[in-house]
Amino acid sequence: MQNDVRALRTAKSFSQEDLARALGVSRQTINSIEKERYTPSLPLALALARFFETTVEEVFHANGNE
Amino acid sequence: MPTATNDVGVRRSRADRVYRSRWFLPAFALVLGGGMLAAMWVGGSLREGLYSFALMAGLAFLFLLGGRSETIRGLRGDGRDERFAMIDTRATAFAGSVVIGTLIVAWLVEVARGHSGQPYAWLGAIAGLAYLVGIGILRWRS
Repeated sequence: MQNDVRALRTAKSFSQEDLARALGVSRQTINSIEKERYTPSLPLALALARFFETTVEEVFHANGNE
Repeated sequence: MPTATNDVGVRRSRADRVYRSRWFLPAFALVLGGGMLAAMWVGGSLREGLYSFALMAGLAFLFLLGGRSETIRGLRGDGRDERFAMIDTRATAFAGSVVIGTLIVAWLVEVARGHSGQPYAWLGAIAGLAYLVGIGILRWRS
C-alpha cells in the first residue's frame, strides 16, 4: 500500500530508528513500510497516524486511489 | 519528538510476554539439549548425547548473545514485532506444508513398496486432523 511515511518522517527529521523506537517496532519494519513491502496492521497504522498528528487516510493511500 | 504510544494497541497475554522474553529461546534450546542428552544416554549413546547437548548449548549461547541481528532477535522473541510475527507465521506454514508434502510422498512410496505405510499414515492423519481443529478453533475465535 502506498504511503507517505518516509516523507512525514524526514519532514520531522526523525530517523527510522527514532520512529521504530517510538512505535515499539523494529527499524526494519519501518523500512519495509516505507518501501511499501509491508502493509501495517490497523493498530500500527493508527499509531503511525497519531505519531505524525494526522489521520490514517493522510498517511496511507490505496493503490490507484490517491 | 512528539510522544506516541510505545504500544500500538495490541494487548499481550502472559504467555506472549514469556514467549517474547529474550531468555525463552535460549532456555528452550538448553532444555531440548538436555532432553536429547537424557534420551541418548538412556538409549546407550552417551557420547552422541553429549555432542547434541553441546550443539544445543552453543545454539542457546548464539541466540542469547546475537543481539544486533533482527533475525536472531525476532527468532528469540524480544525483537518480534507484528511484521516478524507475520514472517514467523508464514515460515511456519511453509515448513508445515513441506513436512506434510514429505509425509504424503513417503506414505505413497511405502505403500507402493508393499509396506503398510506406517508411521507416515498416522503422522499424515495427525497433521490433517490438527489442521482441521486449528481451522475450527480459529474460526470460532475470530
